Amino acid sequence: MTQADLDRDDVLLAAGGDHDAFERLYRRHVARVASLARWLLDPGDADDAVQEVFIRVWQKLHTFAGQSAFGTWLHRVAVNLLVRRRQTLGRSRRREISDEIPVLAAAGISERPDLRVAIERAVDTLPAGAREVFVLHDMEGYKHHEIAELLAVDPGTSRSQLHRARLLLRQQLAT
Amino acid sequence: MSDQFTGQLSAFLDGELDDLARARLETHLGECLDCTRTLADLRAIVAAAPRYQGQEPARDLWQDIARRLGEAEVVPITPSRPGPPRAQRGAVQPSSNRRFGWKELIAASIIMAAVGGGAMWVALGRGTPEAPFAAVAPELSAPQLDNAAFADQQFDAAVRDLELLLAQGRDRLDSSTVRTIEQSLARIDDAILEARNAIQRDPANAYLSRQIAANMRRKLNLLRTATQAIAART
Repeated sequence: MTQADLDRDDVLLAAGGDHDAFERLYRRHVARVASLARWLLDPGDADDAVQEVFIRVWQKLHTFAGQSAFGTWLHRVAVNLLVRRRQTLGRSRRREISDEIPVLAAAGISERPDLRVAIERAVDTLPAGAREVFVLHDMEGYKHHEIAELLAVDPGTSRSQLHRARLLLRQQLAT
Repeated sequence: MSDQFTGQLSAFLDGELDDLARARLETHLGECLDCTRTLADLRAIVAAAPRYQGQEPARDLWQDIARRLGEAEVVPITPSRPGPPRAQRGAVQPSSNRRFGWKELIAASIIMAAVGGGAMWVALGRGTPEAPFAAVAPELSAPQLDNAAFADQQFDAAVRDLELLLAQGRDRLDSSTVRTIEQSLARIDDAILEARNAIQRDPANAYLSRQIAANMRRKLNLLRTATQAIAART
């Protein structure tokens, strides 16, 4: 049984009020949601935000139509809530744009066997503005115009931050 | 290496360059090993990023979440479970503590479920939106919401419609999924029956009223989610 199959069955059960099924959904997805919260909010806000996300998902389960994977739907709910929460908390992160292009590493990183894990760790080190755009675009699949709307920035700013984030990550991963 | 071209590598990867800029960059990549390596690295990052596994919170949040899910649980009614204290005769109840009967509570749920039921008829192409919707959710007025018979009839009608959709579409779901749904529905029905029997012995028990309403809402939500899953596979 794939994770999608397990999710589908547990969504049906949880929509019927089954806490155990919802806990299984939570266990399967909490790690990614927690990282999202840590990357998009201050780490001190992350735990509360994760709880809010899963409570919101519980309340909205009956609206999940099953036309996409549950994980995809969950992440959309999570991103919307996390971004709104940041606005509510008055977190207006400085989205610095630097003309400075990171020093380009000479060595290639594409052969690293631990690349996925290394990227996850390196994302933590990115400046807030670059990190938010990288997480939303490259990790969550949002388009620049969607990110612009979510973060109240210009689409051009989103593109610049994304490029900067990728080059910073490359630099970080090559060291 | 050229800053001009390096700055375009992300846009190139994302397919956002116009034809002319893309052609120029492709020509440059044929001549510049540094830019070619950089592009390969960025491509690897972009390919790996969506597969992140994430890191669990430092402490387990589930217990806190479970507590906050409130009365949404399907709760079997057991004699040992204490109900809330009864109000003393003649005691003044604060307006915010007004207790709704289970039939009033479920009437509100029916309205929500009926909307979904009507939408499913449309999604499955089995009728016009008006006909099934009207059958499930007629115009509601305040006196009707207070009418116990109305709540019973409308709940039964909503369940009947959704069960019909489920029966018609069950072959589109895995047998294990159908089994899961049926087991869950049976469990909810048992909880409703148990609570209904209990409330006959204790008609003023607000806790029992809330449990009946919650479990009926669960049943409608489960049926609606199941029919949505069928529609998604149509």
